[in-house]
Amino acid sequence: MTAATLAITDWSAVSPFGTGRDAFVKGVRQQQSTAVQLDRERWGGPDDVACLVPDFDVRTVLGKKGTRSMNRVTGLAVATSGDLLASADGLEVPRESTAFVLGTTVGSAQSTIDLTRGSLTGERPYHVESGLIPYAVMNGAAGQCAIWHGLRGPNATLSAGRPGGLVALNYARRLLLSGRAAAVLCGAAEEYSDARAWIDHHSRDDGAAGPVLGEGCALFSLTTQPELPPLAELLAVASGTFADGDREGAVARCVRRALAAGGAQAQQVWVACPSGAAGAEGDAEIAALNGLFGASRVGTPVAALIGETHAASASFELAALLSRAEDDASCAGRTAVITSVDPGGTAAAALLRLRPDR
Amino acid sequence: MNDTAQRTGRQAAERPDSARVVITGLGVFSSIGIGAKEFTEGLRAGRSGVSPITAFDVTGYDRANGCEVRDFAPQEWITRGPASELGRASQFSVVAARMAVRDAGMDEDELRGRRVQISIGTTDGESRDMDHLAASWVSDGPEAFDPGLSRRLSADRLSASVAQELRLTDAECVTLATACSAGNYAIGHGFDALRMGDADIALCGGADAMCRKSFTAFYRLGTIAPDFCRPFDVDRQGILTGEGAGVVMMETLESALARGARIYAEVLGYGLSCDAHHPVSPEQSSIERCMRSALDDAGVAPEDVDLISAHGTGTRMNDVTESRAIRGVYEGRPPRTISLKSMLGHTMGAASALAAVACSLAITHGFIPPTINHRRTDPECEIDCVPNESVDADLRVVQNNGLAFAGNNAVVVLGKY
Repeated sequence: MTAATLAITDWSAVSPFGTGRDAFVKGVRQQQSTAVQLDRERWGGPDDVACLVPDFDVRTVLGKKGTRSMNRVTGLAVATSGDLLASADGLEVPRESTAFVLGTTVGSAQSTIDLTRGSLTGERPYHVESGLIPYAVMNGAAGQCAIWHGLRGPNATLSAGRPGGLVALNYARRLLLSGRAAAVLCGAAEEYSDARAWIDHHSRDDGAAGPVLGEGCALFSLTTQPELPPLAELLAVASGTFADGDREGAVARCVRRALAAGGAQAQQVWVACPSGAAGAEGDAEIAALNGLFGASRVGTPVAALIGETHAASASFELAALLSRAEDDASCAGRTAVITSVDPGGTAAAALLRLRPDR
Repeated sequence: MNDTAQRTGRQAAERPDSARVVITGLGVFSSIGIGAKEFTEGLRAGRSGVSPITAFDVTGYDRANGCEVRDFAPQEWITRGPASELGRASQFSVVAARMAVRDAGMDEDELRGRRVQISIGTTDGESRDMDHLAASWVSDGPEAFDPGLSRRLSADRLSASVAQELRLTDAECVTLATACSAGNYAIGHGFDALRMGDADIALCGGADAMCRKSFTAFYRLGTIAPDFCRPFDVDRQGILTGEGAGVVMMETLESALARGARIYAEVLGYGLSCDAHHPVSPEQSSIERCMRSALDDAGVAPEDVDLISAHGTGTRMNDVTESRAIRGVYEGRPPRTISLKSMLGHTMGAASALAAVACSLAITHGFIPPTINHRRTDPECEIDCVPNESVDADLRVVQNNGLAFAGNNAVVVLGKY
């Protein structure tokens, strides 16, 4: 696809496995289930269980300065980007050339609804908490990450459903290839909240049981000029839709296009990672990957351990893939596929080369 | 694809036709006109889109003017399913995209055979639906949320619904949620996707629907004007919130010439920067950096620019900071600098997309839309805002500014082809 190398040099995650890359790798290695019984004093949603980031409280984790009104999704993103920047020996580029790209569904449904609720219940309709305002806009989290870490390059928030983490990689790729950034921190974040849990509950027919909800943030450092051998190379991202109603066909088409763009053959792929979507979308995704790669090379989605993380789900699949690659030298130099699909009609696939020999 | 043609910064005429990007179709739904023809008439006449807000109950607000799209009839444009299944912002993006495709003379069957980049910018996504959920929460609790609304809240629907309606399977759908500069982000993203050979056609722009949440937020920040929006005026009192959508159809020059398409304007380049400074207040040096990177990307010098379409919200904070940044980049000699928000209100994520449509029409028809409601220019702004009356002008290069909360700046540079 391109002569330039799109290197993934490092990553971090704040997830139901805990904080940081090591906690995530350990969780994947040990196949830890993270669902917990929800504290009814703290949470008022329809769910009894969820996969929460353990002990995550914004002000405890980030301190009291500048966090008074900060919502959970922003806290998760600021904590993850902070951890990634602290560990990133490789990110020796000026912050003016460092871009930040974050996938989301709606920002924070809770903050958005809370702002209007404040308007509807206050003494005057405009007596709302001003500190909440930036967080009731979808780019609030990415903007705060920029402020906290001085990231002055392109700053983008994008919504592309469950494939958002893969589409974000494509956005990062374009920023790098066009020279708009020398390095990109790229990923996605999703918070658990009462509002999100209720919205998810009502979005299913007759309140049918759905997957356990999870939350967290995963971010990856990308650059075209890695100083050390990267963890992986992004070879291609391909997106499509099932506007024709054919979910399985859409996933398969995305995978084939990613393979073709990356110059890879299906039979050489080490593993294909589905996103663990619920319902018809998830079934179609598995069927497409089984058809292309055979069931033995189709991985188990990390969503089985950390729950449905919506906008962050594809980023967590990438984190899980890199976790498995850390533990298995046989993957070195081989390609892997990550797919995702959304009930809104979209699908995407990414092709990576793991631990490329450099 | 190779990576030799990907960095711009060269003058457009020196780029290969496959790396030049042109605008060949316009879709516009605004408070001053629907469709390119009516919108052009509105821009030329300096029409005001202001009316009392009807989108939500304004009881208790001391001021409640806005710029709504009245008599919006999405069912005339949305044919695949009931338009009512989409949120209002998605309705706007879908109808504007379909209009852009028609305006470009592109048959939809032919479009289905092409690789399409769909990038739609927004501030609020389906926040109007979210307002309704908030009202349910207050009256009956979240147990009473409407399932239909719950299913369509995700902001990705603004772009994914375009693909659904036009039945495009070979499309990348991205909603850029970078608030009030998002339309420019979306156009820039399409520009890169086309230049890199990732797509054949790009449908890019922005859409937002008037909602209580945004109005209340701006009201709380003391930035809602009592009557009209008067950018760069010494007596300006703030913004008026608005709504609508602008979508442009873009393709490479090679593609446009091959099919004999009408070309409104060329996208010469764009720039992005982030203030990393304050959640809601703009920062001058970062805006300057954004404008410089856009001009560099476009391969033009400041003296080549004939017109700036400013972000120009009509707040003191924005207008003074932005005009200082412009004077900084233009070394005290800025070209004429207008604010379309005087006519359209602040249409949020649609704002810079509607402005890009307006700039394309200004280039095509040779005129500068005015900054209306203007009485006396603020001496702190020191720009010629083309007050109240449009003027004829041969425009070769136009700079379109978009600034946003979270310090998300995006500037697009358009040129005459």
